[in-house]
Amino acid sequence: MKTKTKRSTTERQNLRNGLLFCSPAIIGLATFTLYPVLASLYYSFCNYPMLKPPVWVGLANYHTLFHDPVFYKSLSNTAYYAVLATPLGIITAFFMALLLNQKVKGMAIFRTMFFVPSIVPMVAGVVLWLWLLKSDNGLINIILGAMHLPTPGWMSDPLWSKPALILMSIWGVGGWMLIYLAGLQDVPIDLYEAAEIDGASPMQRMLHITIPFLSPHLFFTLIMGFIGAMGYFTQAFVMTSGKGGPVDSTRFFSLYLFQNAFMYWKMGYACAMAWILFILVLLFTLFLFKTSARFVHYGGER
Amino acid sequence: MTAFRPAIIVAKDEPGWLPGVVIGLRPSAKQICLMCFLLAASLVLCAGCARHKSSAPATVVISVWHPWGGAQKERLAEVIKEFNRTHKDFQVRAVFTPNDLDSNQKFFTSVAADMPPDATFVDGPQVAAWAEQGAIQPLDSFIKASGIKPSDYFPPCWAQNTYRGKVWAMTYCADPNFAFAWNKKVFRDCGLDPEKPPTTIEELDLMNDRITKIDHGRIVRIGIIPWLQFGNANAMFTWGWAFRGSFFDPKTQRVTADDPNAVNALEWMVSYAKKFDVTRINGFAAGFGSRDQNPFYTGQIAMGCLHISQLDDIKQYAPDLDYGLTFLPAPAGGEEHSSWVGGWCLAIPKGSKHPKEAWEFLRWCCRDPKGTQAVGRLQSLLPGYRKSPYIEEVRSKPGYDQFLRIMEECRHQRPVMPAQSFYMGSLDRAVDYAVYGRMSCKEALSKATKETQSELDLRLAGR
Repeated sequence: MKTKTKRSTTERQNLRNGLLFCSPAIIGLATFTLYPVLASLYYSFCNYPMLKPPVWVGLANYHTLFHDPVFYKSLSNTAYYAVLATPLGIITAFFMALLLNQKVKGMAIFRTMFFVPSIVPMVAGVVLWLWLLKSDNGLINIILGAMHLPTPGWMSDPLWSKPALILMSIWGVGGWMLIYLAGLQDVPIDLYEAAEIDGASPMQRMLHITIPFLSPHLFFTLIMGFIGAMGYFTQAFVMTSGKGGPVDSTRFFSLYLFQNAFMYWKMGYACAMAWILFILVLLFTLFLFKTSARFVHYGGER
Repeated sequence: MTAFRPAIIVAKDEPGWLPGVVIGLRPSAKQICLMCFLLAASLVLCAGCARHKSSAPATVVISVWHPWGGAQKERLAEVIKEFNRTHKDFQVRAVFTPNDLDSNQKFFTSVAADMPPDATFVDGPQVAAWAEQGAIQPLDSFIKASGIKPSDYFPPCWAQNTYRGKVWAMTYCADPNFAFAWNKKVFRDCGLDPEKPPTTIEELDLMNDRITKIDHGRIVRIGIIPWLQFGNANAMFTWGWAFRGSFFDPKTQRVTADDPNAVNALEWMVSYAKKFDVTRINGFAAGFGSRDQNPFYTGQIAMGCLHISQLDDIKQYAPDLDYGLTFLPAPAGGEEHSSWVGGWCLAIPKGSKHPKEAWEFLRWCCRDPKGTQAVGRLQSLLPGYRKSPYIEEVRSKPGYDQFLRIMEECRHQRPVMPAQSFYMGSLDRAVDYAVYGRMSCKEALSKATKETQSELDLRLAGR
């Protein structure tokens, strides 16, 4: 009995001390994350031009939003980007990782070369690509022209502006490549040897050993990539000087949100947009979890 | 600070000195070390505060937020130095706060937090919006006390700063938008008279056809790109007024971008997009920097609007450029010598801690003969105060003299209304949709009119 009470006091003390030690993080999280999140929910029901107090307008922001053609345009732009850029990035990073997992002389240099773009500051990278993608005398079009291939207008052509941004996103997949590379080195070599003895072709080894072993990594990057793509902003902002042109073809959801919030001071409207984005991302992530989880193996377990 | 000092002394001979934390317990060496460290840290902080307070200068220093980086920042510093030299009772400190033309999150946050600068620069067309937002305060009582009259200023400058019957800012510099520039060398190369710039839109079209050179579908040189005059929206305003269009009726608070003359202006702009394939033109123009790679400086674009600040740029980046400046061409029956005013103004934020001193700074920079002269000479900017002695100096200053002539005939300012930046964004998209052929000119401008009107109504209703 005595020991029990003593333990519970120790436990209580531990709890108290633990909470005290955690308190900076807890307070920080509550003040700088929880409060703004809840505040944004409240503001999404308000007309809030920032310097004046918010005025409750009920569902008016959401109502306007659902009748705003630019909202749908920005949503479809974002979906276009997310659906194409994420899988393309994963496939490219995966094959890069496979190549960089070979035992070749000077591999460290190759790995560095492929990884370096992803540590280039984003804005600097975008400015670089602005030059590469110039339709007139950009490097990409010069090369395409030399091969007698069509030279699209890239950022000045509404049809090609999103593909241009997707192309640019491929350049920065070094981070994912690194994750896959780490995963590849965890695949037990004896499995490959056993498969080889059993006469499995390289393709079969890839499908039945490599990919299942990498599936957690692939799944992780799919989720993260998708969430990242839904919030795609910086590159489009820099590339189009914050406008999202030509003809709204690169006005992504987050860009439109930013414009509403910080250019037109429609904070309530922007908050409503943010919540819709949040719900969409949540739903799609749940969908991905439900549909993809059975393809993911964790060291033999599913 | 004094409260802590005895605590340390007590801690030395009496271990239980910290009630509530280590009651009755003897603190371990580690705990004592930690406490001492915390105390020392707070002492250092307090000492820092105290020193800051004691060394505070006797004279008041007011802060002014400005948007200029680079060379203009250095020149503004010279202006401030001159102000501080002539003012002994208080001093001004300029703070560079990057300022996007139509939004200034940092400034707004500072006003919301009741810690604004004492004075701030504001983009002229944004004055009404900032006033409506309650970010800046009216200056009427100061203006009255200083005996300043509206007629002291170029009319559009004063009109731009007047909103709901009050004056909210003073014009620091009047930028006449725009001068029409032409490249004399290109004119010569194309067999055109280098001393005869186009005066009508018809002449402009003919000259453009002579100048534009397309090689295997690639544009090598073009006469003018009508919509790329400092962005789509500024181009729309510039040509719109030259075509006698109108954009806003302040009496009825109606947005009028669907005015038939404005539609005509856009039709004319779009005719270039149709003639030369808009993707090619925009591709040709994209990626040029605004400075050393400016296509006008390199002769790739032979004609276009020029901003007053570019006179300096050209001196620096293209000193050999052979060009001339004149008034904007106008169509038959259009508005001759058309222009509108831009430029920066000075305002006093709501909650400014030193409004009187701030006003003296505003008055000196924007109305004082000596002050406006200093601003003009040091920053090469045109004052809005038309009786400034600097105005007479400008008459013999090559390049600037033309800008002065434009300013003296200037009739327009961008719509003075709280949804100004929304309007700009709306026009920007309307021009985009029209030049890319996604909408007819009338459709595009009607859409811009409608959406801006509803945004404006929303702002006005939210008063």
